[in-house]
Amino acid sequence: MAEKRPDRTLGHNHDTFWDWCGKDELRLPRCTACGHLAWPVVRKCESCGGRDFAWERMSGHGKVVSWSTFERDYYGGTMPVPYDTILVELEEGPLFISNPHGFGRRDLAPDMPVRLAFVDAEDSAGAFRLPVFERG
Amino acid sequence: MAGYGAITMPPADPALSRRAAIVGIGETDYAADYQAERRRPEGWVPPTEESLLTTAFERALADSGLRREDIDGLTTSFTYGGPAPEDVARTLGLKPRFHLSNGNIMAGPLPVACAAIAEGKADTIAMVFAVASRSAGRLFGGMTHSTGGVSDPDGEGGAPASYYYYHPWGWSSQAAHWALIFAHYQWRYGVGEEDLYHVARQVREHAMARPGAIMTKPLGLDDYLASRYIVRPLHLFDICLVNDGAVCLIVRRADMARDLPHVPVDVAGWGWSKVRQDKLHAMVREQLRPQLREASGQALAMAGVGLDEIEHFEGYDAASFHLVNQVEGIGFTEPGTGLAFCRDGQMTVGGRIPTNTSGGNLSQAYMQGWAQVAETVRQLRHEAGTYQVPGISASMTNLAQTDQTHPIVYVRGDR
Repeated sequence: MAEKRPDRTLGHNHDTFWDWCGKDELRLPRCTACGHLAWPVVRKCESCGGRDFAWERMSGHGKVVSWSTFERDYYGGTMPVPYDTILVELEEGPLFISNPHGFGRRDLAPDMPVRLAFVDAEDSAGAFRLPVFERG
Repeated sequence: MAGYGAITMPPADPALSRRAAIVGIGETDYAADYQAERRRPEGWVPPTEESLLTTAFERALADSGLRREDIDGLTTSFTYGGPAPEDVARTLGLKPRFHLSNGNIMAGPLPVACAAIAEGKADTIAMVFAVASRSAGRLFGGMTHSTGGVSDPDGEGGAPASYYYYHPWGWSSQAAHWALIFAHYQWRYGVGEEDLYHVARQVREHAMARPGAIMTKPLGLDDYLASRYIVRPLHLFDICLVNDGAVCLIVRRADMARDLPHVPVDVAGWGWSKVRQDKLHAMVREQLRPQLREASGQALAMAGVGLDEIEHFEGYDAASFHLVNQVEGIGFTEPGTGLAFCRDGQMTVGGRIPTNTSGGNLSQAYMQGWAQVAETVRQLRHEAGTYQVPGISASMTNLAQTDQTHPIVYVRGDR
């Protein structure tokens, strides 16, 4: 069953990101002018201002560099607390905020390897595939 | 309702140093107002921005020794909207020749006012700040920050704000930013929550000696560790208060500020630096160190003051750990040593850099950096009470957000 989630940011290049997630692929925009790999998704490169991007597929390998666990409910019950979030450094460099899948806060260790997975999710705009991370 | 008022930071130009001085300060009764809001006794009326700022202004005016008609400039700063400056002028009985809606939190408004004085727009500006977020029941996370379905709300095409972009993973709120930074720091430097406790404890001890501070009970390690988490690993006592209040600063042309009841406090330097790309990296891996170094360097150079001459510091303790980011990042102590530095008494009187000596946003009041300017004025007047730093003549405040930082350097007018 799809997990209820707070709303995604949509429109412009954000739709492209989520469309790729719908195919179970994590792809981030790389600026074709300067090569900067962007996350979050941007319309204009933070590094050089370029507006053309190639959507590069991430290997899905990464390591956990930080975490935070929500004990206060900021979303009116959409996600039952407590729940865990992790900060994953993707093999390609960007830091990616996500959720651990199949493990939790107590299992975490510095630089713990993780690998990409997708789960069914749903927000007010409809069903989508959400990138999360399993033990690598 | 007026908007937030965009801030354009004036340059950190030495020609603007010490052209204006703070000559009056006024604050509302933080603790009494906070307790009234919690109890809501019969007949209690929620404060408004207007009611709060009027109290702060009248106190600042009395403190300055000036007459109402001496005030020829007015700036207004509201975090969540408030009346237009023209309306505030009417409320306060002022006829300013200069008025401005001047941003919100203490991230730029003071340099803007000082630059306006240097440009001759006014001789004496009353700067008012008011916030009534607690009575309004504002939630500091979740869909409070939302684009309403519009991508790129700034229209600049840059990175979307971290306050809403990670909603699908359930990640939002100010507190989560500091939690993510501290959780990484814990791993990197091998420290724990019991080490972070000392920051909350030290700031609380300062508040306990300050009449009118909201949180004045001793904070023991057991109380701290037993308190609920807001965003783990941060506890309730690691996160700033939310309260209603107002602060007024009266800023006057420095050459007109020498014959007043109090020693004037000159605004000597300021700086500003903002993360340009890869915000999560800058926050978590670098703790905004490059930005803190750059901006404080600008402010010190503008003031002609060395970091070793700064004897008191007010940092933006939106969270306990964020104060450590600033104390380390500006260079009062080395990266990775901030918690031991605090535990060993280096952040109070007698240590290297007495910090947040009135209890900060954690324990005195969440006036979003404004009360900390008032405390700096007291320190430089040598009227700060129990935690007065003996004989000081130079101080620094710093408002660090999640992606930018605004330091200001002050010197005592007779220095």
